[in-house]
Amino acid sequence: MMQHQNVPQPMPPERPADPIPSWPPSVASVCVRVETEPDIAAACREIRWLAERMGFARSPAYYLATAASELATNLLIHAGGGWLRAASVAGRHPNEPPGIELVAEDAGPGIADLALALTEGYSTAGGLGCGLPGVERLMDVFAMDSRPGHGTRVRAIKWP
Amino acid sequence: MATPLIKLLHEHREELLDAWLHHAQSIWSGNGNYESLPQESRLRLRSIFDDIATLIAQTTPDDDFELNPEGALANHLHQFVTEQARIGSGANKTIGLMLSLKHLLSTRLFDRSEADAVADLMWLERIFDSLTQLTFTAFVDVREHLITQQSLSLLELSTPVLRLWSRILLLPLVGVIDTIRARQITERLLEAIARHEARVTILDLTGVPVIDTSVAQHLMKTIDAARLLGTQVVMTGISPEGAQTLTKLGIRFGDVLCRATLRAGIAEALLLTGQRISPVEERRS
Repeated sequence: MMQHQNVPQPMPPERPADPIPSWPPSVASVCVRVETEPDIAAACREIRWLAERMGFARSPAYYLATAASELATNLLIHAGGGWLRAASVAGRHPNEPPGIELVAEDAGPGIADLALALTEGYSTAGGLGCGLPGVERLMDVFAMDSRPGHGTRVRAIKWP
Repeated sequence: MATPLIKLLHEHREELLDAWLHHAQSIWSGNGNYESLPQESRLRLRSIFDDIATLIAQTTPDDDFELNPEGALANHLHQFVTEQARIGSGANKTIGLMLSLKHLLSTRLFDRSEADAVADLMWLERIFDSLTQLTFTAFVDVREHLITQQSLSLLELSTPVLRLWSRILLLPLVGVIDTIRARQITERLLEAIARHEARVTILDLTGVPVIDTSVAQHLMKTIDAARLLGTQVVMTGISPEGAQTLTKLGIRFGDVLCRATLRAGIAEALLLTGQRISPVEERRS
C-alpha cells in the first residue's frame, strides 16, 4: 500500500532556479509558466479544461480554476513569476476516481512566517489577504513549503 | 570599376531576373497554391531586383555598405513585405525569397570563377545581410501593428456601458478581468454614470469565467467609486459555483445588492427608480 498523498514531500535541498516540469507523460497534466498577467488567465483556463476533461463536476472544477488563479496571481505578484502545474493523482482509495494536484513553485523571496501568510486578511501586496487561506479552504489537501531567499512551493489537491 | 559581380549583373540581367521570378513562383505555389504569382507581386519583385542591381552598380566592394532606410530599395522592399504580411504569407517565405536571390547571384558568381570573386562574394553577403534584416524588421512591424490594433479593438468591444432605461445603466462584463480592463471598466462606467445621471447600475457578471480575489477587489473598487457618484449598484449573474467560491474565499460584497439573474436585476432597478414596465392592455383600460 502506497503512502497516501496528504503528506507533503520535504523540499529537496538543491533546487534549480526554474524547475523543469517532469510529470510522467501518461498522466493528464497542465504546466504553465506564469510571467505576465495574461498567463494567469491562461493557467486558469487550462486547469479548468483539465478538470472538465477528467469529469469533475461544475463546483470542484470552479474551485480548482479559482485556486489556480489565486496561486498564479501570487506567483506573479510576490515572486515575479514561476511555474504552475496541475496533474491527476490517484484517488485516496483504489476504487475512487483520481483527483487533481496543483503545484505552484517559484524561486522568489520566500515566506518567513507561513502561519502569518495563511492568516485571513494579512497581505503584503495590498490585496484582500484572502488568497492563500481561500485556496486552503477551496482545496481538500493543502501544503506549503518555503525557504526564505530560495523560493516557495504550494501543493494542493482537489478530489472530484 | 567593373567587378565580376557588376559584370555578371550587366551581362545576364534579364536571365537572372527570370530565374529569380521563377523561383519566387515555386515558393509561392509551394503550399498547394497552383495559381500563378500575382502580377503586382511580379512588378514589385522586378523593381526590387532593379534597385539591387543599381545599388551594386553604384558601390564598390570596399565601401562600407549601409542601406539607406529612406531609399527606393528600402521603400520597395517595405511595401512588398507589408503586402505579404497582410495576406498572411509566412515570414520564412518572404525572407526565403530574398535569400534565394543571394544564393542565385553567389552561385553564378562562383561559376564564373574569376579573380576578385571572393571580395564580391563578401560584398554580396553584406548587402543581403542588411536586406534580410530590413525584411524581417518590416515583417515583424506589420504583424505587431496588427496585433496592437486587434487587442485595442477587442478592449473597445469588451466593455460597453448601456443605457437600459432612464437613470438605469447596464454593464455586462464578459471575459477575463485583468488590471487594464478593470481600470477601463471603472473609467467608462463613471463617465457614463455622470453623463446619464444614473441612479442604478446593473453589473452583470454572467460572462466572467472565474471570480477570484483580484477580480473581486477590482469590482469592489469600481462599486465604491460608482457609489460616490450617487448610483446604487445591483450585481447579477453570479453562478451558484461562483457564490460558493466567493464564500470559501471569505470575500463579502457586504452591502451590495445582488440578484441571481439579469431579469431579477432589471426588476430591482426599476423598483429602485420607481418605474415599471406594464402590459399594453392595462394602459388601454
